Amino acid sequence: MLSDRAKAMQRVCFGTEPSEADLAFLGSRERWLVYRDLVRSRLMHVASVALRRTKSAVGDDTFGRTVDEWLGAGGPRTRYLRHVPNELAELAISVWRATEPPWVADLARYEIATWEVRHAPPDPKSFDDLAFDRKPTVRSAMRVLRLSHPVHETPTPETGYDREQTLLCVYRDQAHQAATRKLNPLAADLLEAWQKADETIAESVERIAAQHHTEIGPAFVEKLSALIAEFVLGAHGPSR
Amino acid sequence: MNGEVQGIGLGLRHDLATELLERRPASVAWLEVHPENYLNRGGRYQEMLELARTHWPVVTHGLSTCLGSPDPFDTAYLHDLGAFLRDLEVPWHSEHLCLGGVDDRFFHDLLPLPFTDEAAEVAAQRLIKARDAIGRPLALENVSYYAPQATDGLAEVDFVVEVLERADAALLLDVNNIYVNSKNFGFDPRAFVDKIPTERVVQVHVAGHLVREDGLRIDTHGEPVPDDVYQLLDYTLRKVGPVPVLLERDNNVPPLDELLAEIDTLWTIYRNAMGARDAV
Repeated sequence: MLSDRAKAMQRVCFGTEPSEADLAFLGSRERWLVYRDLVRSRLMHVASVALRRTKSAVGDDTFGRTVDEWLGAGGPRTRYLRHVPNELAELAISVWRATEPPWVADLARYEIATWEVRHAPPDPKSFDDLAFDRKPTVRSAMRVLRLSHPVHETPTPETGYDREQTLLCVYRDQAHQAATRKLNPLAADLLEAWQKADETIAESVERIAAQHHTEIGPAFVEKLSALIAEFVLGAHGPSR
Repeated sequence: MNGEVQGIGLGLRHDLATELLERRPASVAWLEVHPENYLNRGGRYQEMLELARTHWPVVTHGLSTCLGSPDPFDTAYLHDLGAFLRDLEVPWHSEHLCLGGVDDRFFHDLLPLPFTDEAAEVAAQRLIKARDAIGRPLALENVSYYAPQATDGLAEVDFVVEVLERADAALLLDVNNIYVNSKNFGFDPRAFVDKIPTERVVQVHVAGHLVREDGLRIDTHGEPVPDDVYQLLDYTLRKVGPVPVLLERDNNVPPLDELLAEIDTLWTIYRNAMGARDAV
C-alpha cells in the first residue's frame, strides 16, 4: 500500500534511528539512507542559517541532537522551508532553557524573531488614514521582544551575557533586512498594544502613559509621533 | 507583463536575483518561480517578484503539492495558490510526480513513488483535483530517484505516461532527471524520451547534477549542465518541438555570466533543433 510506504519513508527520514524493518520494507538500505541524509541535510541547513549564533553558542553536537529530537516527533508540519526554523525553535528553546546557560534561550528567541521579520508577510494593503480615535494598523514585519539578556549586542562575549532586562523591537527595514531597536518599557507596551489592536491609539496612549506615570507633554508627543511614524501604517475600525 | 513563455528561461533564485534584475539580459526569455517562496512573504522576495514580472513572462513550479501523497489536499493552501497563480497570470503551473509528505508532515525533498497502478491512480486523481482547484493547466514533472523500485528502468516512463493519460495532463519533461535515472539504473535515456507523448510536453527542464564517489548521481541543481544532458536535450527538442526550456540552478550558484554562457549554449541547441525540424 502506498500509505504504508509513505509512513515507512517518514520514519526512515525523520526517526532518530531508522529501523532495519523499514529499510528492508522500502527495498534498498543504502539508497534510503541517502534519502535520509538528503532530507535531514536540507532541514539542518536552513535551521543553521536561521540560528547561526545560537548554534555556535551551544555547539554543533548539541544543536544536532536538538534537531534530531525535533525531527523524531515526525518531521516539519510546514510546507514552507522558511518556517522550518520556527517549528524547530518551539521545541529547541524550551530544551535549551533547561540545559544551557540562561542567555542561550534569549539568543535563540532573538535570532528567530529576526528570521521571522525578514520573511514575514507583506504589510496589510487595506487600511485608512491614521486617526487617534480608531484602532491602529501596524506593520506586519515587527516583533517586540522582552529578554533578560542583551543578546542583540555582538559579538557574543566569550563568557556569555550578563543578566539585564532588554526590550527590543525587531523589524524589517526599507532594505528588507532585520533591524533592531532598543525600547524603553513604555514604548514596548505601546507597540504591543498597537499589535493587539484592541484599543484606539488614543485609548492605548492614555492607559499606558498612566501606567507608567508619564505626563503626556511635548517631549512625550514627539517620541510618540516618531514611534507612530515608524510602525503604524494607518487605522481601521469605527471611530470611538 | 505576462507575455508568451517561449525559448530559454531561468529560475528566479534569491542568490542570483540582484544581478539578474539589474542587468536584465536579453538572452533570458522568461523566468520560473516557486510559489512556496513567495506566498505570504513580503520584503525582498516580494520586491524580486514584482521586478521580475515587470520585465519577463513568468511561470510557476510548485514544490509541495505532492502529487503522490496519500493524504487529502490542504484546500486552504490550494485556494491561496490558485489566487497567486491568477494574479501572476501564468499559462500553466507544474508540480513533481513524487511523494512530498505524509500525515501532514513535509519531507522538503522529492521522494519517489513506486511504479504501481495504485500510485498512478493516486497521482492522477490528485492532479485532477489540484488542477480543478487552481483553475489552470497543471503539468506534472518526472523526477530523479535514487532508491530502486520493484521495477526500474523504463518502467518509470510507463508509469509517467500512465499518470499523464489517466489525468489527461500536460508534462514538464526534465531531461536531467531522465539522464540521472538512466545512469543510476542503467537504461537508454533516448528510449525514455521516445515513449513520451510529445503533444503533452509544455515545458522542459535542464540542469546539472552531482556524481558521488560511489558513482551515484544526485539531482542537486548545483553543477553546470554536462555535455551528455545537452545532447539529450537536443534529441528531446527535435522530437517535441519548440517548447520553452528552463535552466535550473538552485545551489552553488555561480556568477551570472557563467549561467548566461549556459543559456547561450541552450539557445544554440534550441535553434539547431528547431531548424532541423523545419528542414524535415
